[in-house]
Amino acid sequence: MSALLRLNVRLLRGGGRGGLLGSGLTLVAVAVATTLLLFSVSVNVAFADRAARETWRNPAPAESGARVIQAVGTEFAGGKPIVVVDLAALDPGAPAPPGLPRFPRPGEVWLSSALAELAAELPADRLAARFPGERAGTVGDDALIHPDELVAVLGHRPGAPAVTAERPPGPDLTSVSPTPIKDFAGTETRLAVNYRILAAVAAVLMIVPLLVFGGAAARLTVARRDARLAALRLVGATPGQVVGMTVAEAVVTALAGSAVGTVLYTVAIPVLARIEIAGGGWYAADLWPGIPIVAAVLFAVPLLVGLSAAIGLRQVVVSPLGVARRHTPPALRVIRVLAFVTALLVVPFMSPEVGVGVILTVIGLVFLAINLVGPWVVALIGRITAAVARRPAGLLAARRLVDDPRSAWRTVSGVALTGFVAGFVSLLSPDPSAFTRDTPGDRLELTVPAAQAAGTADAARRRLAQAGVRATVTAEDTRLQGADRVATVVATVSGGGDEALDRGRTALRDLVPGQPPQASRDRDAQAVSLFTDIRTGTVVVLAVSFLVAVAGAGITAASTILDRRRTYALLRLAGTPLEVLDRARRSETMIPLTIMGGGAILTGLFVAAPFATQVGLNPGGLVTLAICVSLGVAGVIGAGALTRPLLKSVTENPAPRPD
Amino acid sequence: MIGRMSEDVLSGIGLVKRFGETVALGGVGLQVARGEAVAIMGPSGSGKSTLLHCLAGITRPDAGRVHLLGQRIDTIGERRRSELRRTRFGFVFQFGQLLPELPAEENVALPLMLGGMPRTKAVGRARDWFGPLGLTGKERRRPGELSGGEAQRVAIARALVTEPAVVFADEPTGALDQATGHTVMGLLVDSTRKGGASLVVVTHDPEVARWCDRVVEVRDGLLRGAAGAEAGR
Repeated sequence: MSALLRLNVRLLRGGGRGGLLGSGLTLVAVAVATTLLLFSVSVNVAFADRAARETWRNPAPAESGARVIQAVGTEFAGGKPIVVVDLAALDPGAPAPPGLPRFPRPGEVWLSSALAELAAELPADRLAARFPGERAGTVGDDALIHPDELVAVLGHRPGAPAVTAERPPGPDLTSVSPTPIKDFAGTETRLAVNYRILAAVAAVLMIVPLLVFGGAAARLTVARRDARLAALRLVGATPGQVVGMTVAEAVVTALAGSAVGTVLYTVAIPVLARIEIAGGGWYAADLWPGIPIVAAVLFAVPLLVGLSAAIGLRQVVVSPLGVARRHTPPALRVIRVLAFVTALLVVPFMSPEVGVGVILTVIGLVFLAINLVGPWVVALIGRITAAVARRPAGLLAARRLVDDPRSAWRTVSGVALTGFVAGFVSLLSPDPSAFTRDTPGDRLELTVPAAQAAGTADAARRRLAQAGVRATVTAEDTRLQGADRVATVVATVSGGGDEALDRGRTALRDLVPGQPPQASRDRDAQAVSLFTDIRTGTVVVLAVSFLVAVAGAGITAASTILDRRRTYALLRLAGTPLEVLDRARRSETMIPLTIMGGGAILTGLFVAAPFATQVGLNPGGLVTLAICVSLGVAGVIGAGALTRPLLKSVTENPAPRPD
Repeated sequence: MIGRMSEDVLSGIGLVKRFGETVALGGVGLQVARGEAVAIMGPSGSGKSTLLHCLAGITRPDAGRVHLLGQRIDTIGERRRSELRRTRFGFVFQFGQLLPELPAEENVALPLMLGGMPRTKAVGRARDWFGPLGLTGKERRRPGELSGGEAQRVAIARALVTEPAVVFADEPTGALDQATGHTVMGLLVDSTRKGGASLVVVTHDPEVARWCDRVVEVRDGLLRGAAGAEAGR
């Protein structure tokens, strides 16, 4: 085997510029795939890390032996949410909460560094005055979901209003009534679970095109080698030797590529960490997936590339003449269409109730089914186009599509699969503004028992006047909340915008214990934030998909030129202008791209439809879709155009020579 | 045999071509008359293929001139030379000149389509060549499904379908057995003559050269005098 490897190295080195360029392209393709694969995996790890750091604020009640009382609420300053954690020790040995070196003493205030900065930045009556106690220290990173999170930890005596008063029910905001706990283990929040599900969906949407792209890169090695390997078979190399040689070459190239990709990803972490989700960027450590995962990727990518190369070689191994003598390729099996239709038939039975695992599996299957049906459709398009083509460029393109539909599909598969993603998410990306209730933004509300409404309104008036905030205070909207009749005290702040509202919030902060005044829009903040994040996620997923698609198109276009340099040279020799060759090449890509891209978008819309009724349609998503389609088409044309100099160089001397 | 006294269709004068330090052509002149078949002979590496490439506008000579029907063609741009190759020249090479994806008839029709002829008409005209070349029934076959001799005959049809002024052939029988080579050469010379075109054949095989009106020999990049022409069999 070592002799074979040596022969392989000699053949690779002797392959000249074309051979080295081909290997280089494979390496680049694998590097890009590895970088994006690491990103897709790391996103999940990162959300898990965030969720783990958030659990301490979602207390699990202790049945007995409680050592701490914990309450959590959310308030706002400068339009940003602040998580306020109120703590009281029931026992002198109460455990220190995450991010703090010890348990906070009564009256102590611990702020996250971002909150401390904001408090210093804003006038005291907008923020700092809300936390009048002794500033004891900074809440450490262990307690924060992201570096910019605004968190305050306040120490109290047991029995203090902040750790006894019930928090008003607020499903959209982090709000936990005083809870006796043993430690800060806590449980994962519902929101964190939602984020992790979304991250998993995003990962599936990104990973499938990446795998397809990786496979294309592997076949690229084989495509360049098939003639040489067929020759080796003709002189008696065993199938094992032929497979061994090619797989070894592909694996070595892929190993180098995945190492480069890992370095690229590591270098990109600081940039990726700036992508804001849930109100802030990321700790670099969150985006580092850890040595075991990196090692697994470094092992798996070359393995997959090797496997893909071995599959690609099947034809050569089965028949050495299959490559040496070109003949009409057998038609692709109709089973591909059946697989696609079957996958689509499952979709109408999907609903959010069937479970995330099932939904992800179905999305993944439809994705793979598109990839399976793609070459079949390309061949069909080729046959139709060949029948109707009037001009040489169209005819050449059509015959090429019929001759090698898999290769033509590889060029456009990335964009087509991205079309699926774009179609899918365009329906499932609701407009955040649709979730903002149509209420004025200058109302601060407090919910109190109906009997206390008048007194609370009076006190509010006094406090606001004292703070110099112009406001009209009324008690309104008496209603039943459970068994209690409650009323809403509303302070309508006039003039002064956000600043006056913040000062109003500060003035009314402890008026009702455990209940900072809420503006109407506060209640929507979490929904708006979540949907803004979905939109950010959509952009990230589409950006990754397009990067894969355009890189794939460029690499495939270049490799196609290298593979077909003899054909192109002969066409040039027969007097075919370079423009006709270029036009034929473009048609080869654009004809399947238009049909398959369109088909994939429709499939994406179809698969998303069962879920779209749950979150509502978003016309903005269609704009995103239109932008995606335009960018994708432009990207593929651009990638093709970039390879024109290569086409020119390989056809510069069109004199035929035995390859 | 066609006399040298006829009008020259193609002429190369003082052609020089270097590849780095190597002198492939050291000042070669060659005239080809209308309807004449000329064989260029010489051992491997002598410069005979380079001479053909220079005459056919595939390669631009470093010095010297090439005239086609009195017009200089070595100085014209690549676009015009492409057009010239498509309309005025035909090519037959040793192998690999047919596009593997296209059926035989479309391979033959391609130069006509490139010249702007509608596909149906081009394919129709291409088919006219299949009978005379003994290819009836092979119209829809792809090159991989043809024998070596059949593929060469399709190449001959493609070279002649545009009714060129000159057909260039580089070792046209090099990949064929003797009997098939004999048939192919006969068809090449006969068809070229019938179409009124001149033929320039590069070969190292004296059997092939004997089909031509005139034989010239290239050695070390120089023409070693014209051998006596021998009529084709």
